[in-house]
Amino acid sequence: MLILEFLVKRIAQGMLIVFITSLIIFTLLRVVPGDPVRLIVGGMAPPDVVERVATKMGLRDPIIVQYGRYMRGLLQGDLGQSYLRPRSGMIATGGQYVDPTKSDMAPVIELILERLPFTLQLGGMALLFALLIAFPIGVGGGLHQHGWQNALAFGVQSLFVSIPNFWLAIVLILFLSVKLKLLPALGYQGFSYVLLPALVLAVEIAPFIIRTLTTSLGEVMQATFIDEARVRGLSRRRIVYSHALRNAAVPLVNLLGIQLSTLIGGVLVIEYIFDYPGLGNLTVVSVVGRDFPVIEGIAITTSAVFVFINIIVDLVAYLIDPRVEI
Amino acid sequence: MDLSLILEVNDLTVGAVTPGSPPILDRISFRLNTSEIFGIYGESGAGKTVLSRALANWLPDSLRYRAGRVAFAGHDILKPGVQDVRTGRDIAYIGSKPQSSLDPTVPVGAQIAEKLHSVRPEWNPRECRDRVMQLLGEVRIPSPKERYWDYPSKFSGGMMQRAMIVDAICAEPAVLIADNITRPLDVTIAAQIVELLHDLCLRHKTATIYLSASLPTLGQFGAQTAILHQGRFVEQQEFAELMAAPKADYTSKAIASVPRMWSTAEGPLARRQAQGEVPLMKVQNVYRTYRARKRGTFNTYSNIQAVRGVTLDIMPRENFGIVGESGCGKSTLTRLLAWLEVPDNGSIVLNGTSLGDLSSQELIRKRNEFQLLLQDPYNALPPRTTVGRMIEESLLIRGSIPRAELRRRVTAAMAEVGLSAELYDQLPNALSTGERQRISIARALILDPKLLILDETLSALDQREQGRLIELFSRLQDKNDLTYVFISHDLAMVRKVCTRIAVMYLGEMVEIADNGDLFFDPQHPYTKALLSAAPTLEDKPFNPSDFLLEGEPPSPIDIPEGCSFASRCPKAFGRCRVETPKLLEHSSGRFSACHLLDRGEAKAAA
Amino acid sequence: MAVTTIVGAEPERTTARIRSVNRRILLDAWRMPSFRIGFFIFVALLLVSAIYPEVSSISATKMIVKDKFLPPVFLGDKWSWDHPLGTDQLGRDMLMRCLIGLQYSLLVGIVTVVLIFVIGCGLGLFAGFKGKWWDTVIMRITDAQLSIPMIILAITILGVSRPTVPTIIIVLALSGWPLYARVARSAAVAERGKEYVRGLRVLGAGDWRILLLFAAPNILPPIAFVAVLDVARMMIFESILGFLGLGIQPPTPSFGSIIADSRKYLINAWWIATTPGIFLAIALTSINLMGSSLEKARNRIYGGL
Repeated sequence: MLILEFLVKRIAQGMLIVFITSLIIFTLLRVVPGDPVRLIVGGMAPPDVVERVATKMGLRDPIIVQYGRYMRGLLQGDLGQSYLRPRSGMIATGGQYVDPTKSDMAPVIELILERLPFTLQLGGMALLFALLIAFPIGVGGGLHQHGWQNALAFGVQSLFVSIPNFWLAIVLILFLSVKLKLLPALGYQGFSYVLLPALVLAVEIAPFIIRTLTTSLGEVMQATFIDEARVRGLSRRRIVYSHALRNAAVPLVNLLGIQLSTLIGGVLVIEYIFDYPGLGNLTVVSVVGRDFPVIEGIAITTSAVFVFINIIVDLVAYLIDPRVEI
Repeated sequence: MDLSLILEVNDLTVGAVTPGSPPILDRISFRLNTSEIFGIYGESGAGKTVLSRALANWLPDSLRYRAGRVAFAGHDILKPGVQDVRTGRDIAYIGSKPQSSLDPTVPVGAQIAEKLHSVRPEWNPRECRDRVMQLLGEVRIPSPKERYWDYPSKFSGGMMQRAMIVDAICAEPAVLIADNITRPLDVTIAAQIVELLHDLCLRHKTATIYLSASLPTLGQFGAQTAILHQGRFVEQQEFAELMAAPKADYTSKAIASVPRMWSTAEGPLARRQAQGEVPLMKVQNVYRTYRARKRGTFNTYSNIQAVRGVTLDIMPRENFGIVGESGCGKSTLTRLLAWLEVPDNGSIVLNGTSLGDLSSQELIRKRNEFQLLLQDPYNALPPRTTVGRMIEESLLIRGSIPRAELRRRVTAAMAEVGLSAELYDQLPNALSTGERQRISIARALILDPKLLILDETLSALDQREQGRLIELFSRLQDKNDLTYVFISHDLAMVRKVCTRIAVMYLGEMVEIADNGDLFFDPQHPYTKALLSAAPTLEDKPFNPSDFLLEGEPPSPIDIPEGCSFASRCPKAFGRCRVETPKLLEHSSGRFSACHLLDRGEAKAAA
Repeated sequence: MAVTTIVGAEPERTTARIRSVNRRILLDAWRMPSFRIGFFIFVALLLVSAIYPEVSSISATKMIVKDKFLPPVFLGDKWSWDHPLGTDQLGRDMLMRCLIGLQYSLLVGIVTVVLIFVIGCGLGLFAGFKGKWWDTVIMRITDAQLSIPMIILAITILGVSRPTVPTIIIVLALSGWPLYARVARSAAVAERGKEYVRGLRVLGAGDWRILLLFAAPNILPPIAFVAVLDVARMMIFESILGFLGLGIQPPTPSFGSIIADSRKYLINAWWIATTPGIFLAIALTSINLMGSSLEKARNRIYGGL
């Protein structure tokens, strides 16, 4: 019952947040200088051609009207059509004028749905790798606050957090892919193509897991109830794994929600470098090309994913520790 | 009765890991038989907890065993590799911090069952669960099957201690170590717990070692008792003989330090009065309710009725005491009296002015007349502020004053409370508790108030410091014509200091009377219960066993109809559950709220 | 007759100099070797990046095509001491470019963090202490801001206009302040419930007075210590923006843009990619060592209290 009320409340709030985010992005795009129509018709086109196309595309109407039109479409599941990509494939390169009002452009929602699974796969693998690396180090460091394990955790965490992700990507491509030919690098032609990007992303995520685990596990192990569990007769193994870790996991889960923002940023850059066909890649290209509908669609999708994951995170935190405010 | 030897301790010596430091426990020896209860008295710091942990083979990493043996049924448990004896199963421990003894993220019952299954793996999980539920009922936790699944934060202190008792005895240990288990509990609850433990140990034939800082509590067991002082047993005898003929000097001092409420040489305090006086502060029918959102709902709120219709008059120059246990609403009432919170209903009139009618500017000026002193001097003073600056703050809030004048007034205030002037520019970190309280007093006094409210102000102090501060208060009262309101749960202190006392229960005043009347001739059953539970070595002017309470007070969210005390009152009858008794002046100067006192009722007042 | 001095019943009151909590945290951190290493490296980098470009005559932007692709010292066969870290594809000195890049990196990083701290903590303290309506409004704004990842905001704003140092700083600050607001707010809420606040209210002090004179000096220092770590985080963001072409525009060197360009020459002239990365990594490691040590010291001191 409690959980149901929580879900209803949070989903309602989430929809509000997605709405606000999309409004902000929508407005920003139209307010900041840089006219997409110019890019579409080419730099040579005379001003009246630009104006004609722009009015036909609806870009000269007041922002509120444009937004209303957009919202109406959204409620019907229609995120609009790309300004740049025709339904059949490649983006028009300079010189070629594809009138977006005439030809059939790729629906944004298809573009997004096509690429979302790849990004999710990247994110999932990265999280898995990060946990595989960070968990043992973090737990070791937490349990032995003054031992070498703690120094190791501290060292690894400081090192990983100081390496810029794009630089690491380049270095790893150079060594693992080009020189040693162990893993494929660019594009996607099979599952093995996700491994290298996921590894780089994992190095970005791992430090904060290590840091949180070491600190919170260290704190929990000092708690009275852990001490007293010993005299009550519980085995050390049970104390650490059933009780200490449980309590230490809550701050970890909480911070995960906040770290999400950084994670999304990381995904973007990594996809760009590795030419990985996910949403991040699409974003970069669309912004450079001022492809408004695609940018807006991605902003809504990202926002929705963000809200969704935050709800899951809060729910998991509550399931672990019922004192959490829900 | 089975009198076989179960635990034998010889010359147990424990000290810090660093070599050369003096021992914390020095050659402790005693013998314990099955079904026997062994009491150990020690002041705080004497080494009770270290001893209790040492007996359970549970020393913290900073301490180690230096000599001696602890033989459980013949096996020395301190020798490494002893497999037959296991803490949790054969030797059980109950501590003094029940609220932090269990994992807050797992239900209480589940944790006890987990422990039971760990130490007795031959019992399957289902059996363990059933056994735990049954035991929860045996310790008189209401609705044990539902409470099994509740989390620790839902349990009150008393309930949690009962659960910890279950945790300790569920594996049927042969030896139980109870370390100061009633320290965090209220008097009436503590009395129940002691009674409960005594009963359980006799029934389950568990040998018990009961450590306490209270001689009267040990008196309830009346068994073999040892006095622990600076890590050594200075004496060991049957309790009755210990009281009658103590051999050691320290024992006599300990007996003398137990507060005496009924057999003191001094007579009860009387107020210095004048004729035709008006009350300094009139509290009229004050209510305060908190609304808390029920967890997980949108807009369902529960109402916590903290203060319900309190009316009292505080006369000039008296020492008015308000006593009650936790949850009675005295903290809320204190905040209302200090006007930190505004009552939802009713009014408070100080010197003829209703505080509710004042504007915020006028209120700051009016605050000069009444001030509040808080309990915990370590937290009540702003951090990283010098002594002088703290006292200056009272004046600076009201406007700027030239430096020299400011310094002069602050130094004068410091002198008045006995703080040396050289402390002016120093941080209070090195000062004792008593000295910190003096800083609080100084910054209140500098405003020249007429009324001082003391919220458990003396509770954190030891006897000596308490004595000195009481002296200071008395001096200041004469000099500055002050009136005091003491809010406390410490009956002994209130007996010593207050002229008139009010007893509070669940948001209401149940009895108001002069000091002597209240202690020697209490009217209300709750007052009698409170006084009977108070730990003293003396005889009480009424029969305490008539007034042993059951259970806990009802929740302030769900206050039952009629008299709020009816659910626990041993003398309740029909009318009590229907009609709320009013606080009436049954005889001159004595108020109480009880139907038993109404003339014309069949039952006589006890 | 000997005079017997009677020792007073009171213990001698030692009025030792009391160290404030913050001083203790700093001292505790200083004692850790990790902090000292980080500190010295950071100071060294600061000095070098400030002084060397002034002193040397080599330009970071002038193209000397004949000097292109010179390798760093001791490597390859055409190295020279004029260019200790080699040159890039247009003959520009790598060392100079790295140092100038470092200058901008540090500038953006530090200024952004100061801004985030002031705005974030200011709003957070206010929301936490006043509570109710202010609290709800400010917290909803942080929610909305947090749901827009920095990168998307950056791409949207910087992707179209010419990015300058002020705009980059503003974009980074916009994405960073909500976290500080949240932290400051929960600290303020915790502080609000403390006994000494009640004590001051009884004396008649108003909310603002308590907040500014007593609560803020208590709350802010621990947050400030951890803010050091965020300088590193902002520097990474700046380099990511540079990499994507949204940062400081060429020909002014910035780590990200240098590394982005270098991808084409990875096989032949790998030092163009690696040297800026190493510089950045060293700078970041030193800041992270300092920040983590401060955080550790803070947790230790507050835990022990």
